[in-house]
Formats: sequence, C-alpha cells, structure tokens
Amino acid sequence: MATQHSRAAARVMISPAVILLLGWMLIPLGMTLYFSFLRYNLLMPGTESFTGWDNYYYFLTDPAFSSAIVNTLILVGGVLAITTIGGVLFALLLDQPMFGQGIVRILVISPFFVMPTVSALVWKNMFMNPVSGLLASLWRFFGAQPVDWLSEYPLFSIVVIVAWQWLPFATLILLTAFQSLDQDQLEAAEMDGAGALSRFFHIMLPHLARAITVVVLIQTIFLLSIFAEILVTTNGGPGTASTNLTYLVYAESLLRFDVGTGSAGGIVAVILANIVAIFLMRMIGKNLDA
Amino acid sequence: MARAVSTRRKWITTVVAWALALLIFFPILWIILTSFKTEAEAISTPPSFLFFDWTTENYGTVQERSNYFRHFWNSVVISIGSTVIGLIIAIPAAWAMAFVPGKQTKNVLMWMLSTKMLPPVGVLVPIYLIFRDVGLLDSRLGLIIVLTLINLPIIVWMLYTYFREIPVDILEAARMDGAALRNEILYILTPMAVPGIASTLLLNVILAWNEAFWTLNLTAANSAPLTAFIASYSSPEGLFYAKLSAASTMAIAPILILGWFSQKQLVRGLTFGAVK
Repeated sequence: MATQHSRAAARVMISPAVILLLGWMLIPLGMTLYFSFLRYNLLMPGTESFTGWDNYYYFLTDPAFSSAIVNTLILVGGVLAITTIGGVLFALLLDQPMFGQGIVRILVISPFFVMPTVSALVWKNMFMNPVSGLLASLWRFFGAQPVDWLSEYPLFSIVVIVAWQWLPFATLILLTAFQSLDQDQLEAAEMDGAGALSRFFHIMLPHLARAITVVVLIQTIFLLSIFAEILVTTNGGPGTASTNLTYLVYAESLLRFDVGTGSAGGIVAVILANIVAIFLMRMIGKNLDA
Repeated sequence: MARAVSTRRKWITTVVAWALALLIFFPILWIILTSFKTEAEAISTPPSFLFFDWTTENYGTVQERSNYFRHFWNSVVISIGSTVIGLIIAIPAAWAMAFVPGKQTKNVLMWMLSTKMLPPVGVLVPIYLIFRDVGLLDSRLGLIIVLTLINLPIIVWMLYTYFREIPVDILEAARMDGAALRNEILYILTPMAVPGIASTLLLNVILAWNEAFWTLNLTAANSAPLTAFIASYSSPEGLFYAKLSAASTMAIAPILILGWFSQKQLVRGLTFGAVK
C-alpha cells in the first residue's frame, strides 16, 4: 500500500520527535548514572572522584531510605485505595439518571484542574490549620479538640490532599467506561432476576476491569513522583515522616548538594518506576493491536 | 438507551449526587469565597460563609505586593509555548505513524510512552547542572524546553489516536476524483484533523499550566510561573488567607474553565487511548 517514497517521507517526519526524546532520555539518564558512581558534592567543586558502589550503599542503608520507601508505598497505596473505590462508587452514581447531570460532572471533575501547589497550600492553611482551619472549626462545633493534622498525621494528611486531586480523574475515566456498558445486557440480567448487587459484581465490575487497571497504573506513575504537595506542606517532615522517594532524592541533591548520593537515589527511583511501567505498557500495547 | 426510571428514584439520585458533588467542590468554592473577605474575616471563628463584607481589595494587594501578572504571564508563555512547539514536532510524527504505519510504528509509539514513565527525579540533577552551566536556570526558555519534552509523548499519542480515526478511504476517493496531494491535505485532511489537534492543544496547556516538579525546581523569582509563585506563600506571614485565596483563584480560574470543556479529551489523552 505505502510506497517506498512515502516510507522515506514518514521516516523524516517521525525523526525529530524520536531524536529529541532519545536525547532527553539518554543524555541526562546517562549523566545520572555516571554521577551515581562519583563522590560529588556541589559545595566542594573540583573534588569529584570515582567511588564505585559507595553512593548506592550509602543511599540504600540510610534509615531515611527505608522510611521513604514505606512512605511512598503508603502514599501510593492509600491514594489508590481511596480513588479507585471512591471512583467506582461515584461513577456508578453519576451514571444514573438525574437532574443537572452536566453540572454535577463539572463540579466533581474540578479538583483535578487545581494546580498542586494551590490545593496543597489551601488544604494546609484553610482546612487543616489547628487554629483557623475549617476542620478545626468543625471539630470545635462538635465539641472535640481540634487536630494539628500536618504535624500529628503528616502522611495521612497528604494522602487526603492528593486523593482529593485524583478522585475526579478516577471518577471521570470509570464513568466513561460505565457509559460504554451494554444496557441491553443489564436489562436482560434484570429480567432474569439478577439483583442489583449481583448485576454490579457480575456484569459491571468485569466490564470496568480494564478501566480500573488503567486508572491504577497511570495514577501509580504520577503518584510515585508526588513532590509539590510535600514541599509546600511538610517539607518531608516532621523528621522524615512524610518524605517519599522523590522528595528524598530532591533533598539529597538540591538541599544537601550531595549529587553522588542523589543520583544513586535517582537511579533507584527509575528502576522502581520501570517495574510499574512494564505492566502499564503491556496493557496499552494490547489495546494498540485491537 | 435510557432506561425508564421512576421519578422518585431520580430525585433521590439527584439529591445524593448533588450533595456529594458539592462536598468535593467545596474547597474550590471556599477559595473563591475567601478571596472576597478581609483577612480578619478569613480566619474568623466560626467562619462566615456568605454574609460578610465582600471586598475585592485582595486582588489589588496581590498584584501590588509581588507583581502577580508577571507570574501569570510566565505561566501563559510557558504553557502555550511548550504546547505549540510540542505540536509542531508531534504533528508530522503522529501523521506519518497514523497514515504510513510501518513495522516499527508500534514499537516507536510504545518507546515514546516509556519515556513518559521516567520519574523526573531520575534526571533532576543533570538537568539542573546543565541548565546552571548554560544559563537556563530561572528562564522561561528553559522551562519551555523541559515541558515540551516531558509532554511530547502525550501529544504524539493523542494526535495519533485522533488521526487514526480519519478514514483513509476518503483520501482514496479524492485521489480517484483527481485531487492533487496539496488539495487533499488542504481541503480534506486538515478539516478532519483540526478537532483532534485542538483537543490535544487544550489538554496540554492544562498539563503544562499545572506542572509542579520542574517549575518548582528550575525557577526562582524571575521566571516563576504561578505554580512556583503560589508555593512562595507557604512561608507563614501572619494574616494572609484572603490574599492566598485571591492569588489562587486567579491561578486556577482560567484552567478550570478550559478543563470543563476538555473532559472527554482528558480521558483519551491521559489513558493513551486505552479508555475512550
């Protein structure tokens, strides 16, 4: 079908994008890999020397690393649990006939468009502040002692903020999936006497399986790199109580200026993200064949 | 096919859905309300909801104290600049992959996607050092370059899924009728491709506007877009809720409105076509 000539033209059209992305991926990543084997501190320029695996050893045995891994898992897992379960329920609700459906959809999707620094700062100050926050007022209204969310439950608070941002995303995607559900099949099941619950578990949930997988994988990619929300709320603290892997690498390289250790951490983060990416790529690759 | 539902059930659904939707939307509503309060009212307990002296002075103060509009303009330049450059690079690529698919097309697409999975923190140090050495730190150009590259895979993918839906048969038919290639592109393909390109543009402006890893790490006072500017409010300086709210309202309003128009594209763009 395509001629020799058009093949060549196609190659020329694709190459700028490929070359740029290749450069973007290989050059910095290569440099990170190289730095990760160096003793390299920005405060002591000119003293770089090869140290082998020392940076990796130092990074991986640092107690901050294990707590960062645990925090990352809690952050990703917590947000995923809230957004997928909440998203399925929300999408199910929004799929029902109602008045003003369009406006409800707009209201629900809105948090996704709020920039991370705004949502983090607003939640931190106007909602979670123990004196003047709205939650403190609510607690007082019910006669309870206001909670200092970000110092007492830093990680939980960040999970809440991030979940608020991502619940709309999950809802929107799952709602899209719900809308492609075969209504006749549902009606047939209903006529055959299937109850609401069994219709949900035997028809709707299997139909959603693919969309749920996509939601989980894509959110995981983004959630592994949560940064702004931590930076403006807790700075990873108290101590390392809310430091995730991304924040730890940032602190290592740009706060402590230890480029060597930071780079080793960066490589560790890349490897972990790749494990998730492989699953996601398989999913999307399958769809490409269909 | 809408199923017949009793009016009563429809009303119950409506009430429950509206209540939950308003709860989710409430923080945004609260930002907007607070931006019209005085600082004293903004932290008053119990909080006042609608019955306060509405004032617009915060919007003026925010501009006076920190030249808000320079940061706003930075956001505009960076998000639109990176998206337009991205489109210029991506349109030919997506076009070629959709209309002249070769054996490697799928692999190239998947590989492009894989670059998006690279955690930014993995390349933070080299990019920071390169930018420092060539003077791109705290420059709009530097951010445009980075955001173009990180969003390029999404742009290519979105365009590809749109272009692939353009029926090739139409081209064949036009060719039979003797249309020249130039006319083919001008009168047949372009009108069919424009909606897809517009959606891609919209979604990527949104993503670039809200990007908050590179904008925070690579900018200082000079080229900071709104994401980084708002972050500067994290140091407490006494009474500032109303000003924070005014700055935030202006920062999120344009994108919120764009976002409402791009819900469908959002699904397609962020799932790489896996959910439509």
